[in-house]
Amino acid sequence: MGGGSSRSNKLLDKLKDQEKTINCLFEIEELIKNADDEDILFQDVIRAIPKGWQYPDKCLVKIVYEDDVYYSDNFRETPWEIRAGISVQIETVGMIHVYYTEQLPVADEGPFLNRERKLLNTIADRLGHFILHLSMGHIMKKKQEPVPQKKAEWWIILELLERTDPKLLLRICRKMTNFLCWSGIKDAERLLEYFAPTYESTDDPQEEDMNRPKQKRAMQSIMSITEEIFKFASTHLSEQDILNNIQRWMKEDRSNFLANILENPGSSLAKITDAIERYHNLSPDQGELSEPREKGFRVSLIRRLLTDQADFIDIAKRFVSVNDFNDLLRRVIFPVGSQGKLGGKSAGLFLATRVLKQAAEKNDMLQNVKMPKTWYLTSDGILYFMKYNNLEDVMEQKYKEIWQIRQEFPYVEQVFKNSPFAPEIIKGLSMALDDFGDRPLIVRSSSLLEDRFGTAFAGKYKSLFIANQGPKEKRLAELTDAIAEVYASIFGPDPIEYRMERGLQDFHEEMGIMIQEVVGQKIGDYYLPAFAGVAFSRNEFRWSGRIKVSDGLLRLVPGLGTRAVDRVSDDYPIMLAPGQPGLRVNITVDENVRYSPSKIDVINLRNNTFETVEIEELLKHHGHEYEGINSIVSVLKDGLLRLPGGLGPDFDNDKLVVTFEGLNTRTDFLKQIHAILTELEEKLETPVDIEFAHDGKQFYLLQCRPQSYNLDNKPAEIPGDIPDDRLLFSANRYISNGTVSNISHIVYVDPQSYSEIATREDLLSVGRAVSKLNQVLPKRKFILMGPGRWGSRGDIKLGVSVTYSDINNTAMLIEIARQKGNYTPDVSFGTHFFLDLVESQIRYLPLYPDNDEVAFNETFFSDSPNLLGELLPAYAYLSDTIRVIDVKKISGDLNLQILMNGDLDRAVGMLGAPIQVVESAPTVAKKSIEKQPPPADDWRWRLQISEKIAAHLDPEVFGVEAFYIYGSTKNATATAESDINILIHFKGSPIQKSALIHWLDGWSLALDEINYSRTGHRHDGLLDYRLVTDADIERGTNYADKINAVTDRARQLAVGTFKANQEKGNATPKLS
Amino acid sequence: MKDSGFNPFEMAQSQFDNVADILDLNDGTRELLRNPMREYHFNIPVKMDDGSTKVFRGFRVQHNDARGPGKGGIRFHPQETVDTVRALSMWMTWKCAVVDIPLGGSKGGVICDPHNLSAREQEQICRGWVRQIARDVGPFADVPAPDVMTNAQHMLWMLDEFEAIAGGRFPGFITGKPVGMGGSLGRKEATGYGVMYTVREALKELDLAPEDTTASVQGFGNVAQHAIEAFHLMGGKTICVSCWDQQDQTAYSFRKNDGIDLDELRNMTDHFGGIDKEKAKAAGYEVIHADDWLKQEVDILVPAALENQISKETVSRISEKVKIIAEGANGPTTPEADAVIKDRGIFMIPDFLANAGGVTCSYFEQVQCNMNYFWGKEEVLEKLDMKMTDAFHAVSEMARKYKLYMRDAAYVIAVNRVAEACRDRGWVS
Repeated sequence: MGGGSSRSNKLLDKLKDQEKTINCLFEIEELIKNADDEDILFQDVIRAIPKGWQYPDKCLVKIVYEDDVYYSDNFRETPWEIRAGISVQIETVGMIHVYYTEQLPVADEGPFLNRERKLLNTIADRLGHFILHLSMGHIMKKKQEPVPQKKAEWWIILELLERTDPKLLLRICRKMTNFLCWSGIKDAERLLEYFAPTYESTDDPQEEDMNRPKQKRAMQSIMSITEEIFKFASTHLSEQDILNNIQRWMKEDRSNFLANILENPGSSLAKITDAIERYHNLSPDQGELSEPREKGFRVSLIRRLLTDQADFIDIAKRFVSVNDFNDLLRRVIFPVGSQGKLGGKSAGLFLATRVLKQAAEKNDMLQNVKMPKTWYLTSDGILYFMKYNNLEDVMEQKYKEIWQIRQEFPYVEQVFKNSPFAPEIIKGLSMALDDFGDRPLIVRSSSLLEDRFGTAFAGKYKSLFIANQGPKEKRLAELTDAIAEVYASIFGPDPIEYRMERGLQDFHEEMGIMIQEVVGQKIGDYYLPAFAGVAFSRNEFRWSGRIKVSDGLLRLVPGLGTRAVDRVSDDYPIMLAPGQPGLRVNITVDENVRYSPSKIDVINLRNNTFETVEIEELLKHHGHEYEGINSIVSVLKDGLLRLPGGLGPDFDNDKLVVTFEGLNTRTDFLKQIHAILTELEEKLETPVDIEFAHDGKQFYLLQCRPQSYNLDNKPAEIPGDIPDDRLLFSANRYISNGTVSNISHIVYVDPQSYSEIATREDLLSVGRAVSKLNQVLPKRKFILMGPGRWGSRGDIKLGVSVTYSDINNTAMLIEIARQKGNYTPDVSFGTHFFLDLVESQIRYLPLYPDNDEVAFNETFFSDSPNLLGELLPAYAYLSDTIRVIDVKKISGDLNLQILMNGDLDRAVGMLGAPIQVVESAPTVAKKSIEKQPPPADDWRWRLQISEKIAAHLDPEVFGVEAFYIYGSTKNATATAESDINILIHFKGSPIQKSALIHWLDGWSLALDEINYSRTGHRHDGLLDYRLVTDADIERGTNYADKINAVTDRARQLAVGTFKANQEKGNATPKLS
Repeated sequence: MKDSGFNPFEMAQSQFDNVADILDLNDGTRELLRNPMREYHFNIPVKMDDGSTKVFRGFRVQHNDARGPGKGGIRFHPQETVDTVRALSMWMTWKCAVVDIPLGGSKGGVICDPHNLSAREQEQICRGWVRQIARDVGPFADVPAPDVMTNAQHMLWMLDEFEAIAGGRFPGFITGKPVGMGGSLGRKEATGYGVMYTVREALKELDLAPEDTTASVQGFGNVAQHAIEAFHLMGGKTICVSCWDQQDQTAYSFRKNDGIDLDELRNMTDHFGGIDKEKAKAAGYEVIHADDWLKQEVDILVPAALENQISKETVSRISEKVKIIAEGANGPTTPEADAVIKDRGIFMIPDFLANAGGVTCSYFEQVQCNMNYFWGKEEVLEKLDMKMTDAFHAVSEMARKYKLYMRDAAYVIAVNRVAEACRDRGWVS
């Protein structure tokens, strides 16, 4: 947004004039010099004049001379006119008229500038001279002195400058002097003294004399200096060199104002915007600046508007031009005196679009990449907003206790939402809304912390959709409300906690806002893109050995991309590898149906809400309105998935399945995505992930950032020297990135022994035993290792027969491929439940123990004590095949850590000390890790609470025999998300039972509330309690088996001690 | 690593040996039937998308075609072994014989993992498979069908290649095609209806009227839904079904003591037979434990979901009232449980017989293709009823006459029919 366009115009005009005037005058001088007939001259002059004007395209000229009239092409008279008489001696013989064809911004004289007036007068004057000259004919010529030696072209320019812009001439003299000095030309230094600060006052004492015409004197001085300097220069430089230098300096001089503004750290965005606009108008084609100067501008602009990170700037400067900023700045809203930036998300997207634009010249695939219309609010807008509403106190929020932050956040949010924006921001937003019309919008955060190279700060702040329907006041209110809510999210407990953990608490966070038009189409009452998704340039989830990491990964959904960005538990996006479009995750028709998206996110224009609806319903009612539907769905009929025919599907009767088969096979979309990812990764010099949307016709890039990693999928550092007794296995094929940490149990299905099982029944039993283990072992703290292909459907011998629900609590699935004779069988990559694994973040790793370059600690797996018999007595007979290893017990309190580094294609499973689960801190503050609260707090608090509950529980009143805890609270593994597992041996009456349940439920809800304010995690109640009877204990049912269990045995807590102590008169134990 | 342990082919052979003992087959007949008549192993070279060439290993095993052209699926499997294919081809021989359709047993496959193959590459494998074996298969010799990781699309590629080689239109070459491309109507209904045709006949033998009986069904997929549909048409009442809940990753049973409304439940069911439990609750169904379908006080249990559902742990929960178990699924009863059921005298209709409606309908598809005349759905189901009814009575009579358990009787009758055909042809004496 401009903001101060009149101010800008004034400055601009002056500047533009300078060059235009010179060029125009120069041309006219040349014409006059060579002319000997007024007819031709006037016609030529008519063509030359507009070049000196501010709006040459809209400029018409008429010259009246005696009885003749000369016109521009397509001439017509308009109300916007400026004129000057042509006089010969004192008689007016003609008139020059300059018109603008349309109404243009008001300047000094109507739409015309003072300089234009002067220029016109000069031209009229020159023409008058010429006419006089002609009329005097030969007499004049004869009288003339012999033509002097032809003047150098550069001299003509200097003379012209002297007449039009003596200051510029002086600067050029100075530059020439500098140039001569730098070039090491002897004696050039002496010229410098002309520019000594004392020069003007000391050179000539008469300067002070007010009665003498000062200007003339100065002019003479300048010309004499000029002569001196350039005479000197001409002895050392060629004519051409001098001319080139003069021209270069003149051009650079025109951009000096920009340099001054950009170099001044105090320049406000308003100034920069004005300056850029001026600069743009001066030289829309930009080919005029010297490379270093242009680069300097680019870097300054990148630093001021995008980021001050050196690595980002280094890359961005290669792709961004100064004029790109002009387009960008038209849509930037900022407070008065703003010094803000656009924020990470905006910067990333801006850079990516520039990279792709540049590459599009050489690669057709990149040509149709668009960016939705976007307006920006600068990052200091939030500070201004807070200041405007006296909300500065909120800034201290981040230093409060997390529970307090959590408690207060809803109020902070409400206060923000009820606070007005400053008028100039409202004005800016109002302009933005006029520009957007009634297209739905998404308000995205673009904070300084987000998307920084090296920091995974993705998705911590809010993004909000707004329908943007109805009268403008309403739309504006919705927009400001959304912005306030996004602003407030800076002070939300989750981002603050996240910052605390990473030592980013003290970082001066500001939040820019991106207001983006939602790409899409109106379908019924809904608004949605045809499809959208996310894509990664590195594929961390290969489902086939043929897929390379560089083939990338695409998660596609119909409608808004929200369902592809987040993992949704009850639905699946379509996953594809853009570099290998033929290799699908889903092979059978059933898989294609089961793992296809069934829901779709849309904006409901009628209710102004963001909604999730069933795709089937949407298509049934509005399928025929859905642009691009043929690329999205296949028709399921007779066990066959077919692409819809030319007429499209029969939405009333066909069973439609989202497969994106049409998109894949009938369009170049996958190629396009692959080209985009490859280009961005190469040029940005880092793996990237992008968000995009497609309206059925065009591809829109919505976001681009370095591929984000958290601990789960960050390349792990693999220690160089792992002692043999600590190393359990290593691997070097199909490795993805990440760490699976703190594994307490290993379930190892021995491949040799499994292959020797003689009956199908026993083979199936192995699967059933694994399923049982999946229930009894601590969730996500055990891994499954087994032969070949887990969940194989064909031949049960190839892998343990399980479905996803039989393994859904494991942290990792390992497939062991042992050599058979002279070949090693394939592994399955978990394909039978691949999407389930991905969506639940269960990691996958194949092992090839017979490969010479890897380690496999056979002894550990075969000789470690086996818990199977104790855990599942019914399956003890499978103990040769299934080995359940308690890692901690065997290693003396070590855990299994699996470190995977896909970049090196190396992974190890090793015994190591428990790792504190903290995502890696970015480089800004490594040492702060120690500061974060130990995870043990969550566990300790739960233990104390449990002890308290047991102490307060009156065994006689409630008929309680004993009180146990088990699970994470007992095992010291509880996290903020854990509930408290309690087992109560109950012997009372039904009345006591209901009273007890009542009592426990009360605790449960109260504790849940406390836990929520501490951690932000909410359950329906924090206590997961079970009442067991004598019969349960006898039969081991209803979790009673925990009481004497082999692993995870329940721990008994003292009951009723509170009352007992009270009776003894002891002090009440304090609840911490 | 040595490959010992479970071998499906050895298992199939020993199963056969048991039946051969009962039938007192002579050595020549045993020798003939213990092993496939013919096996083809061949290479299928394929130009891959990246320009390289990969060679895939293909098989076709024709176990026995004494009773008619071979019939059996084509599997795409990365670690296919010929022993698996052999075993499966033998089972196909018995399966066709037990319902008395004039077809033999075959099986085939390709060692490949479709997860590693593009659609084009898979098409090349299909066409390559046909090119290698075209002269030894065909509508009157050996008829392939879809199996593990192959579907109607693969069948159409194969058919197209076969017809190009044979120079004509031979839709009877392959089954599992879509309707309109040589597929048969009634295929969706066939297995479920078939199960209930046998139940109806069993009720007749037990002298019970269907309208006086109740059933509990495990599963609510294609087979289960059509079984229930057929049962309701006969006048019976289903009071409980169970199904998998994808979201909760567990199964539930749904009970309504005055009988479920099939259409109502279907309307709240997804493509895979998962019932929406909230909607079901709202409609008055009790949502109970997954295994509860088995405990219901009903006359008929139909396990129509997964293998090994009636095990030694669960078999004891079967109500005293249960008179018939009809195995809609493959192998839902473990051998230990089977022994208990046998002891309790519950009328068992074994999977082999009960779910033979599927293969019978494939046969009908082939028949219709060969005469290039297609029946309406009613006609298909009518003919299916006849086949299933006859097959049931033959097995049941055999069981009665020779005091055999129904499962054994079904095997015996199947093997006997094949052995007789071999004798009649003079292959063995």
